[in-house]
Amino acid sequence: MVNALFIIAAALAAAFLLGLLKEQWRGAAYAVTLVALGFMTWISADWAWAFAMNGAAPVDIFTAGTEPPFAINLRMGRPEAVLTLIVNLTGLLSALAMKDALLALGRRAMAVLLVATMAFCGIILTRDIFNLFVFFELAAISTAGLILLSDDDRALSAGFKYLIVSQVISVFLLIGIIFAYHATGTLNIDGMADAAQALLPGGMQAFALAFFLMFMALVAELKPFPANGWALDIYESAHPAYSAIFSAAAGTASLYAVDKLLLIGGAAWLPAATGIGIVTFVGANLLALPQTKDRRLLGYSSVAQIGLILAVLGQRDVLGDLTSFIALGLLVAHSVAKAGLYWLSGLIAGRELTAWAALRGHPLMVFAFATFLCLLVGLPPFPGFYAKWELARVLAAEGRLALLAAILFGALVEAGYLFRWFGHAIKRDKPAEEISCAPFSVAAVCIAVVAGWALGLLWGEMAGFLFGRSNLLLALPLLFALAFLLLDFLPAWLKNTLAIAGLAGFFALTWTEYDPLRLIFAIIFTLGGAIVLLASFSAHGRRIGFYPAAMLMYAGMVMLIRATDTFDFFAAWELLTVGSYFLILRGKHSEPHALSYLVFSLGGAFLILMGFALAAGSGVSPRLTFDIASLSQLAQPVAPWVFLLLAIGFMTKTAAIGLHIWLPGAHAEAETDVSPMVSGILLKAGLYGLFVLLMSMGKQQLYGVELTTLMLWIGALTALLGNLMAIFQEDAKRLLAYSSIGQMGYALFGLALMNHLGWLMALMFVINHYIYKSMLFLAVGGVAKRTGTRAMYQMGGLITLMPLSFIAVLIGIIAMSGVPPLSGFGGRWIFYNAILDTDQRLPMIILFFSGPIAFLYLFRLIHTIFLGQLKDEHRKLKEAPFWVVVPQMIYVVLLLAFAVVPGIALRRVDEYMNQFFPEGGLDWSGLLITSNYGYWNPVAIMIIVGCIFMTLFGWLLFVNRRAQKVKQFNIVFAAERPYRPETTHFAWNFFAPYRKALGFLVQPFATRFWDAVTGSLHAAADFTRRFYTGNGQTYAIQLVGFVVVVFLLARGI
Amino acid sequence: MIAYLAMATGFLLILIGFYGALTNRNLLRMIVAFTIADSGVNLVIVAVGYMRGRTAPILDATVPAADAAARIIDPVPQALVLTAIVIGVGVTALMLAYAYRLYEKKRSLDIAKFMDLKW
Amino acid sequence: MIKRVSVLLLLLAVGAIFATLLAGYEADPELNLTARYYADRTAADIGAANIVTAIVVTYRGLDTLGEVTVLFLSAAILGLVLAQGRKREQARRERVPAGELLTTGTRILAPLIMLLGVHVFVNGHLTPGGGFQGGAIVASGVLLLLLADPVKHFAHGLIAAVESLAGIFYVAIGLLGLLLAGGFLDNRFLPTGELGALFSAGAIPLIYSLIGLKVGAEFSAILADLSDTEEL
Repeated sequence: MVNALFIIAAALAAAFLLGLLKEQWRGAAYAVTLVALGFMTWISADWAWAFAMNGAAPVDIFTAGTEPPFAINLRMGRPEAVLTLIVNLTGLLSALAMKDALLALGRRAMAVLLVATMAFCGIILTRDIFNLFVFFELAAISTAGLILLSDDDRALSAGFKYLIVSQVISVFLLIGIIFAYHATGTLNIDGMADAAQALLPGGMQAFALAFFLMFMALVAELKPFPANGWALDIYESAHPAYSAIFSAAAGTASLYAVDKLLLIGGAAWLPAATGIGIVTFVGANLLALPQTKDRRLLGYSSVAQIGLILAVLGQRDVLGDLTSFIALGLLVAHSVAKAGLYWLSGLIAGRELTAWAALRGHPLMVFAFATFLCLLVGLPPFPGFYAKWELARVLAAEGRLALLAAILFGALVEAGYLFRWFGHAIKRDKPAEEISCAPFSVAAVCIAVVAGWALGLLWGEMAGFLFGRSNLLLALPLLFALAFLLLDFLPAWLKNTLAIAGLAGFFALTWTEYDPLRLIFAIIFTLGGAIVLLASFSAHGRRIGFYPAAMLMYAGMVMLIRATDTFDFFAAWELLTVGSYFLILRGKHSEPHALSYLVFSLGGAFLILMGFALAAGSGVSPRLTFDIASLSQLAQPVAPWVFLLLAIGFMTKTAAIGLHIWLPGAHAEAETDVSPMVSGILLKAGLYGLFVLLMSMGKQQLYGVELTTLMLWIGALTALLGNLMAIFQEDAKRLLAYSSIGQMGYALFGLALMNHLGWLMALMFVINHYIYKSMLFLAVGGVAKRTGTRAMYQMGGLITLMPLSFIAVLIGIIAMSGVPPLSGFGGRWIFYNAILDTDQRLPMIILFFSGPIAFLYLFRLIHTIFLGQLKDEHRKLKEAPFWVVVPQMIYVVLLLAFAVVPGIALRRVDEYMNQFFPEGGLDWSGLLITSNYGYWNPVAIMIIVGCIFMTLFGWLLFVNRRAQKVKQFNIVFAAERPYRPETTHFAWNFFAPYRKALGFLVQPFATRFWDAVTGSLHAAADFTRRFYTGNGQTYAIQLVGFVVVVFLLARGI
Repeated sequence: MIAYLAMATGFLLILIGFYGALTNRNLLRMIVAFTIADSGVNLVIVAVGYMRGRTAPILDATVPAADAAARIIDPVPQALVLTAIVIGVGVTALMLAYAYRLYEKKRSLDIAKFMDLKW
Repeated sequence: MIKRVSVLLLLLAVGAIFATLLAGYEADPELNLTARYYADRTAADIGAANIVTAIVVTYRGLDTLGEVTVLFLSAAILGLVLAQGRKREQARRERVPAGELLTTGTRILAPLIMLLGVHVFVNGHLTPGGGFQGGAIVASGVLLLLLADPVKHFAHGLIAAVESLAGIFYVAIGLLGLLLAGGFLDNRFLPTGELGALFSAGAIPLIYSLIGLKVGAEFSAILADLSDTEEL
């Protein structure tokens, strides 16, 4: 390993050497710069490797042949190696990304870049407080210089603002340093820390003030909210490759400087760090909401991330040894992602967020964008995810719930605006200007992508080593999903075949490992998924991006049922959320709906995270890993809160009323074969979560309220209102989507009954809903594909043209409405038996009411789409595409089979449930199913109903044998052309009278509520951000004000 | 006493410099104000190292190496102030250059004219 | 007005912080640990009569390297900033030549000033003064030249070469310390000699001379660049 001093020496020697080159030899100068940066990177990498692999010991580097504290010393240890590696690598890659600008400005700019990189390394390496100041000044001055690389001429004023602020900072820092030196007699950081411990109370007071000034000066370098207007201006106007350095390298270095300083300050200053950090994290994320400029948005996000890491450093007292794992995880994720995003922004011509739509058509760049966003948000399998998990675990265990909640809230806001941006890129109009394909810049972006994934792998390994967690990136389902990224160049049919084979194969390999309940979910998630995928054969071309997203969702789902500890469970939950988000986003008009889906889902996921963290912190099992099964051992007072958090989290996924507003749009606007996936299959993940929750935790009381009773009510209301909203839809897919809300309400109700039959009914709904909702979505999707509309009043009379779709819908609605002979009736029968076991009468009545309401909308599907008059423009329609019909026919067969022999699926589950509810099971003897209250013979019912049907049908044919065929009328009202033609159609606003009577129930209260929440957040942010006036002087005043306010607060405490 | 006086003057200079820099809208005046604040800082640094009745830390016939410890003032702040001065000069030169270019761009030295970047 | 009052209030608070520092300040009766080490050991270890120089060049040599780099950066960035604006102003106005008095005076004074500068940095380890002070004096000689003959195009190339070479040698000497003696910028790979002699204190005179040259060159570059901005 090379002495770390060579990092500094090499940079300086190269910078000075550049002065000897002629101004014209720009290529040579650029080569010298790259070689020097490469050499510096290699030194850091070499050390990092040695620390990681060979367990090398940290090395103190003395200068001047004298030991500290009498001469300046540097240290190269594990953190220093990693951090300088980040800095140098960012410097090197940024040098690639800003090649053109560097060549245009010449050797002096390159020298400044070298010195900047060196200065950041120096900040990290040095152990001397005054030397730290010198490196900070070098960093500040070179920052002011490198801003000039930008072709945005506003950068000049940003540079001046920065110089003003850095003057103020350096005054505070110098005064602080000299008084700290006076108090302790040393400038060495470690020496100062030791001396500070030994100070007498009198000396301590003076020292504390000196420390305060140093601390504030270094914290100011972290761009704390709200004293950070200058930094945002730099982020916005500097060359993007420099902004990458400013975000990744400068942030890294300053954070480590504060970390070193906290050594001196000791525990007393940790709360201040946490406070400033969390205010910055939440504040900056909120203010980012109304941003429309990409680089400024990234600036806000950078500020926020650094704030979060500062808050983590401030939690050192409880995090202990974990601090570096968490802080470093967040830091590397932030650095790689932010640098990558800035480099990417250098390729894009426009500065509006919507201009990123230029990325479309460049799958690799879209993938890079998605990777960076997932890194930033801390989604699995990236380092931020592992860090977030451990952080939540410890904070909850230590009772710092307010901090945890603030962190999760900030993270949710951040995810919201980042993925809104992604939505713009995928869905908005492509700008005229193509992205630049400068090879060096593209290379920098690609290296960042690779680094991001490699770090995911590395953090997984470390989490395995430290906490015994599984490495998510090595999980077979996830690898399988990721493999589709590499295979995306293949034609869709081939990928589809692979995907189906993969799902079926995975089931074949693992089906023996599940208990009966999980087996049912496993079948739906894998084999069910495979059946839906058959419909995807109808797609042509390559369908770039579909399979990675879809398989990611399926991977998440199978990992969910295979998870035994809470970490794996939560990781799987996030995976399936992201996968389905990307999938839903593919729909033509799904941009806002996909976003609201993601925000609700992540919000729910964060509640689940909090719940798990609380559970793990309660001390009922070893603290590092917490099995889902251990939830059952939780006791008061934690247990009900855990239950509440988890339940709300899962109910977000099942779209319980109030949390449902994301569902209709997301499901209706998705592609034809995606709707059944996200409705028929994905919703079951939420039910699975609820099953797991209730199986392990059972009934819980909070302030005397039985929480399952609350769920019962929510279930009943969801069923009623979901169905009610469904009947007023004109859009067939939306109708089905609302009906899903209602159906999930039934299932929730069944679960919340907390008796044997209630659970069996919920499970029945799991199976039935999968089959008929997938079938109906496919059928309606096929019709919509052919007719080009989803509005039902624009259809009609399609029965003869699309007979197979008609059959599917007919069977589907018979099954769904719960009339004999199909399986829906079985569900109803179990349900009636189940409620006889309970004493909750009122919600039961509500649920009864929602049954007939379901008839109202189901009837419309047949009546308006397939019966009635055929529209003129539909005369030449064909049956839905073959591959869309195939799965429907499979479902028809399945439904009939399940109706006749429900025992194949339910019998073993019924037995399995005896361990939870020994009472009230069913008796399965032969074809007869017997409960405490009666019996059900599916075969007999099928035969009887079949006979009745045939009789009636035959009679109908008989009386209609001489019916006269009538030609279609052309209906015109009073010879006037109606202003809105649909108002004249009988199927439009079909249930107007009901709307008059019950419309007050379906007012969009929830939508308005959530709109008001987001609206007021936006408005508040838009108002608040105006104190960034753009005036450099104001920024300096704000900085001084910030110092004073923190001083007063610290005094107060 | 002299140390206190110097230190108080230094602090006062810093405050004066800050006041000037934070209230004057003219770029050049701001820069000058900051140099005043810098001088104040340097004064404070030197004052901190001052010790009554001692001499400069240079060894010669009057200050032999053997009893230097009893004769000289603290040399460290003197070394630090040198660095601080030089850095101050560098930053000031840079600010002047920026002010020049800003003036060239908008023909104005009013800082309120350079608010294109905000929010 | 509101701004002034709020700034005053804020500065009042800052003043309160300073006042507390001032009130809590007590001069040390004895040298503290670090200072005492320097007082006791400099002569023996480093061999420099000027303890401040020993600290600046050796003990805290890394600071000084950084400091020189600050000037280097300032000069480079200044060049960049001004070069950006200058391209379009190729056609310069005629400048008024300096008067006879200034021109003649400069001829006499400039070499003397520069010589004084060199004297100051060469003797930096013995007397008050050193590379920075000497460099600044050298640059003031250059300033005089600039004032006396504004029309003459200044030798940017020479200045840049001096600056770069001095910088490279500075780093190289630092590394020699690392390789031959105890550490980066250790001056003792050359003999420390006799306390108070010109050729003593190991590499310190060498380093300080390089610093002097470099600082002189950097200041000169800054001055030359700034002198080109007069048109505005």
